[in-house]
Amino acid sequence: MLFFTEIVISGIFSGLMYALVALGFVLIFKASGVFNFAQGAMIYCAALAVVGLIDIGLPMWLAVIGSFVFMVFIGFGTQRFMLSKLVNQPPITLFMATIGLSFFLDGLGPILFGSDVRPINLGIVDEPIQSIMDNTGIGISKFDLTASGIIILLVIVLTLLFQYTKIGRALRAVADDHQAALSIGIPLKNIWTIVWCIAGFVALIAGLLWGSRNGVQFALSLTALKALPVLILGGFTSVPGAIIGGIIIGVSEKLAEIYIPPVLQDAFGGNFGGIESWFAYVFALVFLLFRPEGLFGEKHIDRV
Amino acid sequence: MSEAKTVLRLENISLSFGGVKALTNISFDVKEHEIRSIIGPNGAGKSSMLNVINGVYHPQQGTIYFRDKVRQKMDPTQAARQGIARTFQNIALFKGMTVLDNIMTGRNTKMHSNFLMNALWWGPARNEEILNRRKVEEVIDFLEIQHIRKTPVGKLSYGLQKRVELARALAAEPSLLLLDEPMAGMNVEEKQDMCRFILEVNQQYGVTIVLIEHDMGVVMDISDRVVVLDYGKKIGDGLPADLMKNPDVISAYLGTNH
Amino acid sequence: MLYREAGQYKVSYQSDNQIFPILQDRIGILIILAIAVFAIPMFASEYMLNAILVPFLIFSLATLGLNFLTGYAGQLSLGSAAFMAVGAFAAYNFQLRIEGIPFLISFFLGGVCAAMVGIAFGLPSLRIKGFYLAVATLAAQFFVLWCLTKFSWFSNNSASGVISAQPLFLFGFPINTPTTKYLLVLAIVVFLFWIGKNIVRSSTGRSWMAVRDMDVAAEVIGIPLMKTKLIAFAISSFYCGMAGVLYAFCYLGTVEPDGFSLELSFKILFMVIIGGVGSILGNFLGAAFILLLPIVLDLTLPVISQMLNLPISGSTVSHIQLMVFGALIIFFLIVEPHGLARLWQIGKEKLRLWPFPH
Repeated sequence: MLFFTEIVISGIFSGLMYALVALGFVLIFKASGVFNFAQGAMIYCAALAVVGLIDIGLPMWLAVIGSFVFMVFIGFGTQRFMLSKLVNQPPITLFMATIGLSFFLDGLGPILFGSDVRPINLGIVDEPIQSIMDNTGIGISKFDLTASGIIILLVIVLTLLFQYTKIGRALRAVADDHQAALSIGIPLKNIWTIVWCIAGFVALIAGLLWGSRNGVQFALSLTALKALPVLILGGFTSVPGAIIGGIIIGVSEKLAEIYIPPVLQDAFGGNFGGIESWFAYVFALVFLLFRPEGLFGEKHIDRV
Repeated sequence: MSEAKTVLRLENISLSFGGVKALTNISFDVKEHEIRSIIGPNGAGKSSMLNVINGVYHPQQGTIYFRDKVRQKMDPTQAARQGIARTFQNIALFKGMTVLDNIMTGRNTKMHSNFLMNALWWGPARNEEILNRRKVEEVIDFLEIQHIRKTPVGKLSYGLQKRVELARALAAEPSLLLLDEPMAGMNVEEKQDMCRFILEVNQQYGVTIVLIEHDMGVVMDISDRVVVLDYGKKIGDGLPADLMKNPDVISAYLGTNH
Repeated sequence: MLYREAGQYKVSYQSDNQIFPILQDRIGILIILAIAVFAIPMFASEYMLNAILVPFLIFSLATLGLNFLTGYAGQLSLGSAAFMAVGAFAAYNFQLRIEGIPFLISFFLGGVCAAMVGIAFGLPSLRIKGFYLAVATLAAQFFVLWCLTKFSWFSNNSASGVISAQPLFLFGFPINTPTTKYLLVLAIVVFLFWIGKNIVRSSTGRSWMAVRDMDVAAEVIGIPLMKTKLIAFAISSFYCGMAGVLYAFCYLGTVEPDGFSLELSFKILFMVIIGGVGSILGNFLGAAFILLLPIVLDLTLPVISQMLNLPISGSTVSHIQLMVFGALIIFFLIVEPHGLARLWQIGKEKLRLWPFPH
C-alpha cells in the first residue's frame, strides 16, 4: 500500500512537470490558435541559455534574467519572421511551421550556448523530506514538492491573468477569430509577441526545473511530445485542464510502468519495460474516442 | 390538372442548440416539381431549416415525411443518396480542386468503382469515369461554364463559384434541390442568369426546388409557393402574391417592436 | 517554342484523362525511363546506386505514401516510419517462416500487414481531427516500435530486435549486386507510382481531396467520411510498408526498430511539405531535396568555414543542418506552401510561353 501511494505521489509530481510544459502550449494556442510544436525546443533553448551564461561567468540570477531576454528575442523573431508572414494560413500550415521552428531552435541553441550536458543547480535537494519520511514512511522529495508549488503558483497567476485582465480578454478574442479581433482594434502583432514572451517565460521555468532534475540535454526538447497527451486530456485551451491532464497522465503512466510488465512477462517471458514510451499516447487516443475535445476543451460546432 | 404529390412534409419541427431555439414548431410541405421559397429576416432560421431537411441537423421534436414515408434520423450522406442535393450560403466548394473535379465529386453517389479497380485503371473503372465525365459535361454545358472547367476553384469570381456549386449539386441528378441564397452577392445580370438556370432545372428536368432567397423580386417571379419564417417561427405560407399583403410578413420585414 | 501545346487536341474523354496529356511530357517521361533503366546502370558508380539512387527511390515511395494520407486526404500523420517498420518486419517474417515463398509475395504481404495496422490506428480518425489525429499517429509510432522491440518473436529472438534481410532470388537469379537491387527497386517504385497516379485521379482521389478541403460539404454530397479516411490510411500505410520492405531488403540489409524512429517520420513529413502536398512529382522532388541536403551541407560547410577561417566541429555541422532544415521548412511554407512541385509547375507555365513574355 505504501508502495502504491509512493508511486501515485511520484506520478502526481511528474504529471505536474508535464503540465508545466503543456502550459506553454495552452498559452500560445489560447491566444493565437497556433499549436506551437516548438515549445520543447524553447524549453531546451532557455535552459541552454542559463547554463551557457553561467559558463561564461555570470551568477545564477543574472543568467536567468539573461535567458529570459533571450527568450523575448526569440518571441519577437518568431512573430516578425514567421507568424506575421503566415497570418491567414490554415492551422495545419502554422503547425508545420512550428515544427520547422523547433528544428531551427534545436540547432541554434547548442551553437550559441554549447551542447555539453550540464546540470542546473537550483539549491533544492532531491532528498526525501525527513519529517514526512519519519511519520508515514513515504518518501517525498523536497525538490518535487518545491517544483510542484512553483508550478501551481504559476498556474494560478496565469488563470487570473486570462480571466480578469484586459490583456487576458484580448488574448481570448484573438484566439477566437483573428480577423474579428483586428477589426475591433486589437493590435494582433503586439498581442502575439506578448503571448510568445509569456510562453517563453513558462519555458524558462520549465527549463530550470527539468534541467535541474535531468541536466540540460537534447532530450529536453522532446518533452514537448509528452505534453501532447496532457493537452488532449485537458483540452488545448484550458490552463487548469493542463494541470489535471498532467496529473492523470503522470499517475497512470507510472502505474502502467510498474504493473503491466510483470503481467506480460508472465504471459510471454522476456523484458517488457519501457511502457512509458507509448502508454500516455495510447491512453490519450482511447480517451479521444469518447471525448474528442478533452476534459475541459470547448466543443467545436461546425456551422455550415 | 392532377394533384401534385407531396415530396416533403415537415411537422412540428423544433430545433435548438443548447439554449438557443433556432426553430419552433414549424410545419409546411413541398409539392413535387414546385419551386418553394423560404424567406425571412436574417437569423430567422432559414439555413437551419435547410440543414434539417438535409440531415445535417437533427430536430429535437417533430417528424419529417419524405415521399409519404416517415424519415428516420439520417446523416447527410444518406440524404444525398436519397436524391437530395444542396448548395450553401457560404460557398462550400473544394478549393484545392478544379471546377471539373468539383463537379465530378457530385457524381460520387453514382460511381461504384472501389479503390482497387481505380488503382489498376481497369476497364470498368475507366468506363465508369468516362460515363460520368459525359454526364458532368452535360451539366457544364447547361450552366455555360465550359471555359473554366480546368481552373482551380479558388481562382474564380464569387458569381462563378456559386454557379459551380450549383453544377455540383445538379451533377448528382437530384430529385430535391436545396438552394441556400444562390444569388447572394450577384449583380443584376448574374442574377438573371441564375434565375434562368433555376427555372430551366425546374421546368426541363422536373427537379423540386426549395430556395432561400432575400431578393423579393426573384422570389415573386420564380416561386410557386413561399414560406415565411421569423425568429424561428412560421408566420406565413402560401402564394407569393397573397403573402405580400400579409400584415405579419410586412411587419417582420419592416420591423416592429417584438 | 519547344513546349507548345498548339495542335494537340483531345477528341475523347479517354485521351483527356491520360496521365501525360501533353506530347512533350510523354516523350520526356520515356526518355527519363530509358535513362533510368539503361543508362544509369551502365554509367553510375556503385556509390551512386547504393547510397543515392536506391534510397532516393525508396523515400520517394514513402513520401508518396504519406502524401496520400496527409497531402490528398488531409489527415496529418506523424507515424509513417512505424508503418515502414511493420512492412519490413512482416516481410522478413514471411520470408523466414514460409518455406520457398517468392519474395515478391512476401513484399506484398508486408505491405498488406502495414495496411492493416494503418487501418487499426486510423479507425479512431473519424471522430478525431487535425492535431488530435497527429497524436493518435504518434501513439502508433511509439507503440509499434515498442512491440517490435519487446516481442522478440518479430525479430526471431534476436537481441534488441535486429533483423537481417534474407537474400533475394528471382527465378533462381540472385539479386545481390547494386545494379540488380537498383533495377528491382526501380521496377517496384515505378509500378507503385503508376498505381498511385491512377488512384489519385479517380473518384477515390477526388473523395480524399473533398474530405481534406471541407469534410462537412463532402458528407453532404454523399461521400462516406469513415470509409474514405480508412481507405486513405490503408493505402498510405501499404505504400509506407512497401517502402520499409525495400528499405530493409534492398538498401540497408540489416535493420532494427530504432532505425524507424520518430525522426524518420518527421523526415518523410518534410519531404511531403517541401516536395509539394497533393502532387505526384513533388514526392520525387521532396525526397531528392531532403536526401541531398545533408550531403550538400557536409561538402560546403567545411569549405565555407575554411574561407572565413572559422573552425567548425562535426557537431556544429549537424546543428547547422538542423537550423537549415527548420529555416527551409518555414521558408517553403511562407513562400510556396505547395512546395517544389508548384515551383516546377510555374516553371512549366513560363516554358509554355517561352520565348515570348506573354
